[in-house]
Amino acid sequence: MTKNDRWLVWLFLAPAVVLVAVLMYYPMLGTVIESFYSTSFINPDPKFVGLEVYRRIFSQQEFGQIVVNSLLWTMGVVLLQNVLGFFSALLLNQHLPGQGLMRALVLLPWVLPGVVAAIIWRFMYDPQLGLINSFLISLGVSDTGMAWLADTDTAMLSAIVAAVWKGFPFSTVVFLAALQNVDEEQVEAAIIDGAGPLRRLVDIVLPSIREVAMINLVLTTILTFNYFDMIWVLTRGGPQNATHIFPTKIYDLGFGQFRFGDAAVYGVFSILVLVLLIALYFAIQRSSRPRVARA
Amino acid sequence: MKRTLLAATAIGFSTGAALAQDQVTIRFWDNQQTESGLSEYQRAAVERFEAENPDINVEVTTIPYPEYQQRLLTAVQGGNAPDVSSLDQIWMGAFAEAGAVVPLDEMAAEANVSADAFFPGAWESAIYKDQLWGIPFNVDVWFFSFYNKALFEEAGIDPQSTVTWEGLRAAAEELTGDGRYGIGLFAHRGEDTVVVLNSFIFSNGGRVLNEEGSCALTEPQAVEALEYLASLAPYAPQGILNASSGSMRELFLNGSLAMEFWPALEQPTLKNSDLDWDFVVGHAPEGKTPVGAYGGWNLAIYESSPNKEAAWRFIQFMTREDVNGDVVDLIPANVAAAESFLEENRVGPDRIMEHLNNAKPRPLSPRYLEISDIQVTLAQDIYSGMDAAEAAEKACGAIDGLN
Amino acid sequence: MRRQTPRTRFALMGLQTGLAVIVLLPFFWMISVSLKPASEPFAIPARLWPEDPTLANYISAFRPEFQVYFLNSVVVSLSTVAITVTLALLAAYVFTRAQMRIVGIIMLLVILAQMFPASAIIIPIYRMMRAADLLNTYASLILAYVTITLPVAIWMMRGFLARLPVTLEEAAAMDGAGPLRAFFEIVLPLCRPGIVATAVFVLIVTWQEFLFALSFTSTRDMRTLPVGMNDFIGQYGIRYGELMASSVLISLPVIAVFLFLQRQFVAGLTAGAVKG
Repeated sequence: MTKNDRWLVWLFLAPAVVLVAVLMYYPMLGTVIESFYSTSFINPDPKFVGLEVYRRIFSQQEFGQIVVNSLLWTMGVVLLQNVLGFFSALLLNQHLPGQGLMRALVLLPWVLPGVVAAIIWRFMYDPQLGLINSFLISLGVSDTGMAWLADTDTAMLSAIVAAVWKGFPFSTVVFLAALQNVDEEQVEAAIIDGAGPLRRLVDIVLPSIREVAMINLVLTTILTFNYFDMIWVLTRGGPQNATHIFPTKIYDLGFGQFRFGDAAVYGVFSILVLVLLIALYFAIQRSSRPRVARA
Repeated sequence: MKRTLLAATAIGFSTGAALAQDQVTIRFWDNQQTESGLSEYQRAAVERFEAENPDINVEVTTIPYPEYQQRLLTAVQGGNAPDVSSLDQIWMGAFAEAGAVVPLDEMAAEANVSADAFFPGAWESAIYKDQLWGIPFNVDVWFFSFYNKALFEEAGIDPQSTVTWEGLRAAAEELTGDGRYGIGLFAHRGEDTVVVLNSFIFSNGGRVLNEEGSCALTEPQAVEALEYLASLAPYAPQGILNASSGSMRELFLNGSLAMEFWPALEQPTLKNSDLDWDFVVGHAPEGKTPVGAYGGWNLAIYESSPNKEAAWRFIQFMTREDVNGDVVDLIPANVAAAESFLEENRVGPDRIMEHLNNAKPRPLSPRYLEISDIQVTLAQDIYSGMDAAEAAEKACGAIDGLN
Repeated sequence: MRRQTPRTRFALMGLQTGLAVIVLLPFFWMISVSLKPASEPFAIPARLWPEDPTLANYISAFRPEFQVYFLNSVVVSLSTVAITVTLALLAAYVFTRAQMRIVGIIMLLVILAQMFPASAIIIPIYRMMRAADLLNTYASLILAYVTITLPVAIWMMRGFLARLPVTLEEAAAMDGAGPLRAFFEIVLPLCRPGIVATAVFVLIVTWQEFLFALSFTSTRDMRTLPVGMNDFIGQYGIRYGELMASSVLISLPVIAVFLFLQRQFVAGLTAGAVKG
């Protein structure tokens, strides 16, 4: 494209930009404005209160808990999902028998509709009827099993496991794609030099998938942070707020309790926390970037 | 749906009762009923209404419960509310305060629709700030304790002994063991958690709010009830904090749960099972009478409706003695309709009537949904071992802190 | 290829089988519950397979409404895929080729929009749809879905287009081809794997979307499949058998499409996401 093609630039961009502006930025702006008013369903004439609602919510203990939960949830899911995704990609890159079928099968959880996955897992975790406890009891690991989702100690972890099951296949495929682009000649050369599998992994494979890993990390972080269905179906944020994260809290305040102003404030906070989290990633990546840009 | 509307319109034209420009269409939203076959009766009733009122078409939308609240809310917020809808009793205060629905006092007085025809608790649930905001549609009480006859017989326990708190706890203890549980408790985030909690509080003479509208959960009657409920926890299936009345149903049906609290609505499900069951009418301390918490739906007219007159005629029709019983799966709120409905459809109609007559509604507050959320936390606190008085203190701090 | 000792190979096969079990077990259970007759209570401990498997739940799940919901889902999803992929391709092309500062900023803003929580913006969007008289129409859902899938779709297409050497277009320009012709004749055909990968991604996201579908449609004949599942969840309990049967029915089409396009999906990602 040259300077003369400016019209083409705007022609190509216009539809996407207009849609995102009108259906995402404009409503978000509305939500930000709403957050400075005290509004709820039962109070149809909103009053401008500035940062009053922010201050109130910020001072509640619950707010801190939701920030911590959201970070735990996001980082737990993202980390486990990418580690599991990476290792299963390595495994599926070994040219074992049945590999073609496996590569297709492994993606199934990701294809499964989110609500369906959540309902299945809720049932798997059921203390009496669920498959997991029945399995543990029959193995003799436990006498009565665990109340996975009803115990404040295990609820978040259980929700994370279910979300990882649903999400890791995506990381697998992305890593698999990256692995297939690892320079074979370099690997062969390393083998001739007598480098073992671990050495090759650290010296050749990891550096060459660095950037993909970063993209994967950022993308899965955003998707997980705003992932609503799983927790809503599993626990509705309970027990005792142990699994309440930003999206479930926003939904609960807005639609469950008719408190739109509070929901708007949580919405704004939610974006701030997410932006900080992503910024942190980039800061870490920048500071640890190797001098030699390309492997 | 389309076809019935067309048919109804055709009747309207053929009778020549109305000119085309006088035809109005009202939009009616209702909670989607779960009992199979009911939607057909409801459709038939609507057709009958349209035949009686040739100038009115009714467009019915039924909405599954989990999404009903959000749909109504977005519709009202977006200026797209229906003309008339059923509203959960617990939403009345908020919808009235928000100005989303209109007071019906004048229309009701004119049409001679009055409290006498309905269960007292149901009528009360439609009154907010001394005005009437809805006409009771259907009701139930969440304090029927269904039991598995075989399990009680095997243990040699008289089910009637469970009507006292002491008896219930003794029976629950006796019936627990070998993968069986005496009583099902649940405290997930849901209204079923709150109605059971309230039923125990009411049965001990306690209340949620006092006359001034401040929290009354720290009163000794309420705290005792909380302590009592917590003392049942060892005899319930584990996982109370995420359990719902629905998940308890599966345990009851497979014979591992001896007793569970449900509304009378549970009967059709149990009738379809192979289980031998019956129920007792709630539990109270020795010398007191069990008082259940009311649940149910009222019909209300929306402020934004251009056809309030037609909507009112529809409400009158739906709550009439000869119609009400055909269009509900809970119990008709119209007492006369309820009598024949219970006779026909439910086991133990007399016991149900008695319970309906002394049940109490949940607090009538525009902030009810927030109060309910606080009460769920209270239930979770006591079931996870927090001292009842301390938990009540915490809940009252939160309720009185609402502003 | 590197050789593996039989022992390593055996161990790797074991791991692969383990992975398969973890992935498939919940599916297996979903199917098992869907085949359980309503009259057979849930067993404790859980039974892996019903005593008396039946298709009754499927028959009852495959009711006339299901067919309506299915059609709605197909129309909405396919339209969204077509529109999103087209718009994302155009935008991503500009983002990778135009050397203008403002374009870079716009790209950042578009991708940032991905961070907005849907539940925080849904009421304002609902009001807009209402004002435009679009509630209960396919258009409202398609508009919303195109918008929410665009940021990631642009990101995916951008990764892909960044790999295409600009030299090809430059050569075309030398031959006198205008920028539009260069785009349609040179760039577009080379983009196929990227388009397939993006399309599959968008399809999967759209097919399962719940919150917007719930808010923008109220009449029964406009509901999509994920919302239709609520028919089995009542105020007082869940009809598990029918719910699971309809879950299977909902999942089958995307799984089929996915298995069919799986190779191209992976190829598209390979070409696009790799080498930063």
